[in-house]
Amino acid sequence: MMGTIFNIQRFCTDDGPGIRTTVFFKGCNLHCAWCHNPESQQGRVQMMYFKNKCTGCGKCKEKCPNGFEFCTLCGRCTIYCPNDAREICGKEYSADEVLAEIIKDKAYYENSDGGVTFSGGECMLQIDFLEEMLKKCKENGIRTAVDTAGHIPHEFFERISPLTDLFLYDVKCFDTKKHKEYTGVGNELILDNLKKLLEANKALRVRIPVIPTVNDTGEEMLSIKKFLDSYGRPEKIELLPYHSMGEHKYAALGKEAALFSVPSEEKMKQLREIF
Amino acid sequence: MTDRIKKLTDITLAGKMYPKTEKTEFDMTDIFLSECERDTKRICEYILNQEPMVTEYQTMTGFFRFDGSVVGVAFNRSGHKHTDELMRDLYLKQINGLHVLEWQHATADYKKVLESGIVGIIDDIDRSIELHTDKDEREYLLGLRKIAEALIAWCEKCSARVLDYSRTVENAEHRKNLEKLAATLLRSPKNAPESFYEACLTIYVCFSCALDSVGTLDRYLSRFYFADLEAGRITREEAGEYLQELFLMLQAATPISSPNFTRGGESHFCIGGYLPDGSDAYNDLSKLILESLTDLPTYIPQVTLRWTKTQPKDVLRFAMDLERKDKHKRIAFQNDEKRIKAYTEICGFEYEDAVRYTTVGCNEPAFPGGIVGATSKLNLLKSIERIFHDNYEEIESCNSFDELYEIYTRELFADMDKHIEFDNKCNAVRARDVNYVSALFFNGCIEKAKSPTRGAANVVVCSPMVLGITNIIDSLIVVKQFVYDEKLITMKELVSALQSNWVGCEDLRTLIKKKGDFFGNDTERSNAMAKRFFNSIYSFLGGKTNLFGYPILIGDLIGYNPHHQWFGECTKATPDGRMASDMLKFGFGQSGGYDREGLTALLNSIAKADEHGIRCGSTVTNITLDEALIKNDANFEKTVELFRTYFENGGVHFQLTYVSKQDLLCAKQNPDDYKHLRVRVSGFSDYFVKLNEAIQNDIIERTEQK
Repeated sequence: MMGTIFNIQRFCTDDGPGIRTTVFFKGCNLHCAWCHNPESQQGRVQMMYFKNKCTGCGKCKEKCPNGFEFCTLCGRCTIYCPNDAREICGKEYSADEVLAEIIKDKAYYENSDGGVTFSGGECMLQIDFLEEMLKKCKENGIRTAVDTAGHIPHEFFERISPLTDLFLYDVKCFDTKKHKEYTGVGNELILDNLKKLLEANKALRVRIPVIPTVNDTGEEMLSIKKFLDSYGRPEKIELLPYHSMGEHKYAALGKEAALFSVPSEEKMKQLREIF
Repeated sequence: MTDRIKKLTDITLAGKMYPKTEKTEFDMTDIFLSECERDTKRICEYILNQEPMVTEYQTMTGFFRFDGSVVGVAFNRSGHKHTDELMRDLYLKQINGLHVLEWQHATADYKKVLESGIVGIIDDIDRSIELHTDKDEREYLLGLRKIAEALIAWCEKCSARVLDYSRTVENAEHRKNLEKLAATLLRSPKNAPESFYEACLTIYVCFSCALDSVGTLDRYLSRFYFADLEAGRITREEAGEYLQELFLMLQAATPISSPNFTRGGESHFCIGGYLPDGSDAYNDLSKLILESLTDLPTYIPQVTLRWTKTQPKDVLRFAMDLERKDKHKRIAFQNDEKRIKAYTEICGFEYEDAVRYTTVGCNEPAFPGGIVGATSKLNLLKSIERIFHDNYEEIESCNSFDELYEIYTRELFADMDKHIEFDNKCNAVRARDVNYVSALFFNGCIEKAKSPTRGAANVVVCSPMVLGITNIIDSLIVVKQFVYDEKLITMKELVSALQSNWVGCEDLRTLIKKKGDFFGNDTERSNAMAKRFFNSIYSFLGGKTNLFGYPILIGDLIGYNPHHQWFGECTKATPDGRMASDMLKFGFGQSGGYDREGLTALLNSIAKADEHGIRCGSTVTNITLDEALIKNDANFEKTVELFRTYFENGGVHFQLTYVSKQDLLCAKQNPDDYKHLRVRVSGFSDYFVKLNEAIQNDIIERTEQK
């Protein structure tokens, strides 16, 4: 079985406890307007072209075996571009190949109570591959976390729950209409899954991206808090300020980025105090 | 910091504590004496003609320096005629683009003087005189005896001066301090110290004879500290003040006019690490040393924490926490597990000798009471240059990578042999000089009636610096990967690309730079190549010894000078994508952007490369971290565990710079705005804007790890 992965990032400090390796799965069923990894949204392998880096030297065309008529994602243009203006996003991996990368940092996980985080995209969309990965990690004594947006059939959670030490669970906004407007889907299923995980006392961290004009209000945060309080307490609630670092990648994928402002430190402090 | 220490710090940082020297007129007729008699007579006259530095803020004095008119301290070779000549002709000058002579260290052992005072050393000399019948040897010992007596007399003179001065001081507390000092100078360092204060004063005075590292300070001073503390004779705060005064003297020993005044590489010393009984030396005094040193806004000395597996876990965390807050970048970290293994297994030292090592200068290992020999630089790339640019026909006919590797190592070993010979010759010149004053505090000189420059000092670490390790490993990887494993190019094509300095072969160079399985990425092939390279050096050096019969280790970089730039300028293109004249990669671990897999991958690659520890000479691993990583306490805790794991995996050393690449680029553009930005350079730290452009660029290119 193969999985489509767009990045395996070692020494991650922001995706769960301790030192972690984060495996980014390609493909997502939410299309959040503020997404900083737009290359994660499509499930297939993609070519990215960073126009700002391109000097027009023509090396890519010269090296293309198909004369730039059509693209087979062979990657020759990315190798010979002297300015890294082209990049292939996504690669097919076997579970053993991914495990081989993860296991390299096992000693760091052990000393820091870290482990592996499966993220994305939405890693649960590749549920069979994810399940196999989680099993392999467990067999090798590696602690696991699954970072999910939760718009997934509940039986998928049931399948992986015993293999998952921690869920990092995104809550974008509480109002389903608004949720649909900004992510493409309503949040009923997401909240229902969250409720069940909380009721089952699964180790869980809720992560809320703070997006000005979308969810950066006290009322919004209070609604989320109220919801969480009524079903159990997650071990941590993290508010993540919007950042525009993914902006250049939209252009590279031929997309247009929706721009938001970055919330102020003070605003973040105010909102954090609610929880 | 107390007001007194603050005042003393201000004076020190204004350069006003640098001891003045008194010109000494010698008796012209002493030319009739033997060389040894004349030299030692002049040394004594010189010492007794000096004047101590006294201000009302001191509780210690007696540090003096030599002006070059007599044979002075071994480390800075003052008055050492032949070594001086050697340095004048060869220091910082390339020999055939292959060798550059480097400075050499020498560090005192204060154990003896702290156990029995200078009178104890005189007793040793007397015993040795009785055992030696050779005229020259007896003369040498008699000379040492005279100098030891002169040191006692010098302290009496200091005592009188301090007492005179104290009468002019109005502040009662300061006057009391000076009266105490005057009284103590009559006992210390003459007799064995009986208190922490006397022990500090003993080191303060004796340091004049053996400038350089104060060595393993917590080991020397612990018994005095705990005894005084227990008996209620001293408080922790008072002990901290004495330590600070000692550190200020080390700062003052360098003149403010020297660029080294703000460079932390001078007087580097150690705390923690294994004791002969297998326990860890780190204790409350070690902690106090770290606290009191980093409380001072000075540059010198630097301190290294020797880490062991048995050390309490919070020690590394504590030291790294002080380190991240220390603007002057004075703390570095060594792994005792790897070093002790190398010193016992490769050097053949007994465990109880091996655990005595200290770090000096830019991270050179040294043994208290010994001399560090042979730290000259070797350009590793010359061997690969020869096989691709001169004898290329030979490699073009290689059918396998193994065949090529054999040709390469043959050339490498030829260069290493030449280098060892070069170092031996330099040491032989040094051995023409006879040192007296440092000999009093080096091991073996009194027993053997022999100068430390002639190999008398008990342990001599011989550690040539091999520069360009990463370039070589990457070059070998490129040949194996592209020519033999993946067969993407032929050897002929690679040779021709290098000979044309990649001109017309830009695509190949781009391909290599992008697809090279380079060192630092923790892949099977790159790790295996690094291991093979170090194992080859280990086997080659096995059984080889230096001029004085001690086994040889290697190091990767030390020193204040841009040797990697000089060597680069005279070295043609190499297979790793390096162009002719490009500088060699710094130390071991800075891969200039070739490592793409993050910090754990780089640290794993470094830690796994050298299984035997042949690289346990003078080695440096500089890591530049994004400062965002340590601003956040939770991430800082992870950084501590990161480096603990790196040590457990076999890493030898690390030192950190926290900065963003953007800051460095701005600092280069607008030096006036970044005058205070300090960075780790090789074994030392310095102000970024004061470094030359090549080194600045190198630091910017070091991968900033997030």
